[in-house]
Amino acid sequence: MKLAVFWGCRILTSQYEYEMSVREVLPKFDVELVDLREMLCCGDPVKSINDFAADYLAARILALASLTGVKDLLIPCNRCHFVISEAKRLIENDEKTCGKIAALLREEDLKYDSNMRIWHVIDFLHDHVGLDRIKKAIVVPLKGLRLASHVGCQILRYSDLGRVDDAENPVKLDRLINVLGAESVDYAEKLDCCGAALTYSHVDSALSLAGSKLKALQGLAVDGLVVSCPDCGMMFDSKQKDAAATVGAKLNLPVLYYTQLLGLALNIEQDKLGLHLNQSPADQLLAKIPS
Amino acid sequence: MSLTDLMSMAKPNLESREKIFARLCGRNFLNCYLCIKCTSGCTALKLLELKPHEIEKLVNLGFVDELASSDIIWTCATCLKCFQRCPQKASPYHVIIALRNLAVEREAKVPEAYMKAVSQILEGGLAEQPQKVANKKMETCDREGLKLPKIRPPKESFQTVFLKALEEKPS
Repeated sequence: MKLAVFWGCRILTSQYEYEMSVREVLPKFDVELVDLREMLCCGDPVKSINDFAADYLAARILALASLTGVKDLLIPCNRCHFVISEAKRLIENDEKTCGKIAALLREEDLKYDSNMRIWHVIDFLHDHVGLDRIKKAIVVPLKGLRLASHVGCQILRYSDLGRVDDAENPVKLDRLINVLGAESVDYAEKLDCCGAALTYSHVDSALSLAGSKLKALQGLAVDGLVVSCPDCGMMFDSKQKDAAATVGAKLNLPVLYYTQLLGLALNIEQDKLGLHLNQSPADQLLAKIPS
Repeated sequence: MSLTDLMSMAKPNLESREKIFARLCGRNFLNCYLCIKCTSGCTALKLLELKPHEIEKLVNLGFVDELASSDIIWTCATCLKCFQRCPQKASPYHVIIALRNLAVEREAKVPEAYMKAVSQILEGGLAEQPQKVANKKMETCDREGLKLPKIRPPKESFQTVFLKALEEKPS
């Protein structure tokens, strides 16, 4: 099937390993990714400045997505997924906002499309591709790996909006980890936030949140942490050293995107999955994978 | 008889409260009965002393101007737990976003990073500039080196329309 894809800023400007692994992994399940005509911000930071302008940006993305002729849109970033889902619902339920946004879009000959279906990597793999098909595709079972999952906040909450998984007891990412042969470990801090949104105003607090969670996880002696959001990836992987300095702990926990982990099970070359770009000690985890 | 906050001698401003109402697009708001579920699960409580139930109540009573000029509204981590867990479907998260919007409209102090993000979007469509990252061998890599497609900036017409959207105020 064809799947339009909206990446958002964070993936396109720094979390390259997420983009690389999504681009490598999904075609293995007969998915053809179609990039949008333009690459834009979803409106997340704009929400705090002017909510309406953020909704306009989100609507513009849905309009650009409809130009591809594809009816399914993949949004691998949790924040973008939330902002666009929320704007979509407002536009479809609030005539006034809808009219104003349609008028702005018309100035560029764009048209809002309410039929676009929004996916995240997690529900696309779990609900659409399905665990059975993933299981059949595995080349290298990841036996013996004990992993923790971090789904992130904004694809779980708030449930009224229709989210990717249950808000208080998410299971899809864990099932996706287990199906690869690895073991997803339950832990008390599972729903704790990575703190990424606070990097705009309170960097130390943001790092402290990320550091505390990593510290707790290290105490559980897991082999790694699996994430599915570029903001969480940035906090736990790219900024792990800064987080360690902030909480005064020695942190060396491998952090991977789920699509990287899946790629390993599918026997895709590590460099193609961007595993040479992870700033956390991913090698520690790679060494434990049976070859 | 009107209310006075004896700590600051502030008086409620019901006009400002209406502005928050208008920005909430019909969301529940007056239903908060202070069960404090939001605050007990708040990500920003421990480190930054954000208390969502207080925000909800203060706005309810009309102490909006004080909040719009306060730093506290910028401590929310937007984890959405407060709204998720509210038994009354009030949403401190949406009230905080509305207060931030009002603060911007009033040209109060806004964390610089937000304004920077907006100006970057105006310039090139993305809120951030593409960064060079280091790989395992400490070589620097960019999108081109990693064989990732080039970033496609928005058409020129985008800037004008986005500026119009930024000037929009809820009526």
